[in-house]
Amino acid sequence: MEAAYGPFLALSGVTLTARPGEIVALLGPNGAGKTTLIRCITGLLRPRAGAIRWEGAPLDGVPAHAIVERGIAVVPEGRRLFGAMTVEENLELGAFAPRARARRTARLEHVYTIFPVLRERRRQLARALSGGQQQMVAIGRALMAGPTLLILDEPSLGLAPRLVESIFDVLREINRSGVSILLVEQNVQAALTLSHRAYLLEAGRVAGEGSAAVLLEDPRVRRAYLGPLAR
Amino acid sequence: MSGRRSRAVGLAAAIALAAVPLVVRRDDVLNFLFLVLLSVTLAESWNIVAGYAGQVNLGHAAFFGLGALTTRALWVAGAPVLAAMVAGAAVAVVFALLVGAAAFRLRGAYFAIGTLALGEILRITVGNVRAEISTLPAATIAGYRLAHRYYLALALAAVSVVVVAALGGSRLGLGMRAIREDEEAAEASGVGALRLKLLALSLSTALAGLAGGLFAYYHISYYPAHPFSPTWTFDSLLITFIGGVGTVHGPLLGAVFYVFLKEFLAIRWVDFHLLIFGALFVAIVLLLPGGLVEAAARLRALTRRPGQAC
Amino acid sequence: MTPFLQQLVLGLLLGGLYGLAAAGLSLVFGVLKVLNVAHGQLIMLGGYGAFWLFALRGLDPFASLAVVIPAALVAGVILYWALFGWVVRAPEETRVKNSLLVGFGLALALEAAAVRLFTADERSITTGYAGAVLSVGGLAVPVVRLASLALALLLIGGLHLALARWRWGRAIRATAEDWEAALLTGIDVRRAYLLAFALGTALAGAAGTLVSVGYSISPSIGLEWTLKALVVVVLAGLGSMLGTFVGGLVLGLAEAVSAAAFGGPYREVVGLVVFFVVLVARPRGLFVR
Repeated sequence: MEAAYGPFLALSGVTLTARPGEIVALLGPNGAGKTTLIRCITGLLRPRAGAIRWEGAPLDGVPAHAIVERGIAVVPEGRRLFGAMTVEENLELGAFAPRARARRTARLEHVYTIFPVLRERRRQLARALSGGQQQMVAIGRALMAGPTLLILDEPSLGLAPRLVESIFDVLREINRSGVSILLVEQNVQAALTLSHRAYLLEAGRVAGEGSAAVLLEDPRVRRAYLGPLAR
Repeated sequence: MSGRRSRAVGLAAAIALAAVPLVVRRDDVLNFLFLVLLSVTLAESWNIVAGYAGQVNLGHAAFFGLGALTTRALWVAGAPVLAAMVAGAAVAVVFALLVGAAAFRLRGAYFAIGTLALGEILRITVGNVRAEISTLPAATIAGYRLAHRYYLALALAAVSVVVVAALGGSRLGLGMRAIREDEEAAEASGVGALRLKLLALSLSTALAGLAGGLFAYYHISYYPAHPFSPTWTFDSLLITFIGGVGTVHGPLLGAVFYVFLKEFLAIRWVDFHLLIFGALFVAIVLLLPGGLVEAAARLRALTRRPGQAC
Repeated sequence: MTPFLQQLVLGLLLGGLYGLAAAGLSLVFGVLKVLNVAHGQLIMLGGYGAFWLFALRGLDPFASLAVVIPAALVAGVILYWALFGWVVRAPEETRVKNSLLVGFGLALALEAAAVRLFTADERSITTGYAGAVLSVGGLAVPVVRLASLALALLLIGGLHLALARWRWGRAIRATAEDWEAALLTGIDVRRAYLLAFALGTALAGAAGTLVSVGYSISPSIGLEWTLKALVVVVLAGLGSMLGTFVGGLVLGLAEAVSAAAFGGPYREVVGLVVFFVVLVARPRGLFVR
């Protein structure tokens, strides 16, 4: 697949697959094309060439809002909550698509079980929440769509290490309930610990791929991503 | 059109227009051409700020009105008309510099609505303070020569076309266009955006003030608030956009087209031209941002290289 | 003192209509980032709708809201499809500027069409109860204008509720705040745009109806109403319909005060000066939360 912003090719020859039930990490430095890839999958950007297939059907030409209905939900970078709306309104908007709407009461209950603090804060405006709680709302909002694939773009950004850990624990739980996860992360150590497989993206190309456990021990990966001070 | 050729065409047109009063003895023809020339001046002057510096000034009529107000007062009081017109232009420029620094804090559409409000403030105030119609003294009416007004209009239109053309090729014009494309980037590369925008506004309002003076010199009687009417701004905007914003020829072409259609339609349907021009304008904004000038260029490209679409 | 209080009462009544006029503009601008300067002309057309329903069919102007509002909704859908739906494809900064130009052309065309169809005469609806006046402590309150204020408040309240509770109302608010996030949540943003625009047009139609009954209409009132609505939007900011309505009331009162202080002909000037000063003082902050 290829993608471009205007004349600038941001991605070329990228091929990646995610199998059902997997946690796949997408790693790489800033500007490697991770966000571009996410924008292509979620329909915000049209790939210039190549195809994105989902559950056997091509996603090209499917508008972004309809892609959610196909079972792909995203937690965007920077969370992008509707700050002037309450926590519960944010969550309910996650179940906006007709099919998700039918099951929104049960899903809301589910989200409140995962993140009990959100139930307490459900009447508060989203922008009044702390960073960690906002991240919970963002994940909850995506879960409300009942996705089979959950994409997270830099979920650890700006969060304290302890919070990152608990968020990642939640992601593991979500995955156990049968949701595939595509995780874009700069926190390579944490991402590789969580995921089954990983792709390394560099300058718009796949520079490497493999099982997370193997990559975690790979000296090149350790040098490039984990820095000389890594264990 | 290449620079040399368009200069030759322009000179020929100016000479032909200068010969009209000697050949044609009909006042209606001169009045019509006067209107075209006045529209050219107003549209070209509006084009300096909108087309080059990229700021849609919806208060242009205020400067036209100030020029008219000042010129009329001084001229009727006995000053020579050219001096009165220069004074009118000076008043317009001073006002522009006073409000410009504030208005240019606004960007894009906010500049447009801010200047629209400014224009309306002046129009309503002048309408209240000078509510009576302004009529020339009988002696002046007796000595009225249409040809004098006509030549003045021709000179003024020629000056504004030359000014815009000169600006287009100059470093100043380049700086202004840089602001139009991306103000932040222009600032970053050393273009003093505010200074240049004020300069563009001064040039523009000086010409508008002179045009207002011409209006005051031309009309035997009118309400002092009339030249402040937003219609003058709207006419300039329509003419410039339909002709081709940011070009020298656009406002020329647009003015001829606009005034001709307006007068032609006015015979049967007053104000009907606004329906047509309003719709045409919307179509141009959405489909052909370069106006008639771009349409002509595309047509030429098509005929010159058949089979090669653009 | 009483004449001044009387002016204040009238200013407040008129202010309700300013609020209603501004609500539509604010909704469209807040959601689509489209500045429809033809909003005043839409108000004017709404007024003519009510006027002709009354003149030709004898329909009571307040009852005609039931016709004018749905008709305006449809007109809004058509305008969106034909014009503003093209404008929203551009990135935000170009979008505001292009919408201003498109709205401007539309305004000219609508005004010219109205002159052609309805003549330039000033009109107003004179019902049997037009002269009815409620006397409260020595102050005269025209019943029609009071009813207009109440209806305006009712409409704004209904809109507020719809935006708060209705599924698509929430979608509209989400789109206003962050259209990309809304899209990623599964909201068809284009449809939210269409709905917001149609609602804005319906509000203009309603405002026009109320203007034609308590006040008067002519093809040329559009610009004035657009300016009033803009002033209120600038003063009240975006995001809250109730806030916009209060902004309208404040403008109505401010005009009454300035008319008392500087004389009737200057009532408009004061509002415009305040508008310009506020705009310049907060050149970006106004429309950004």
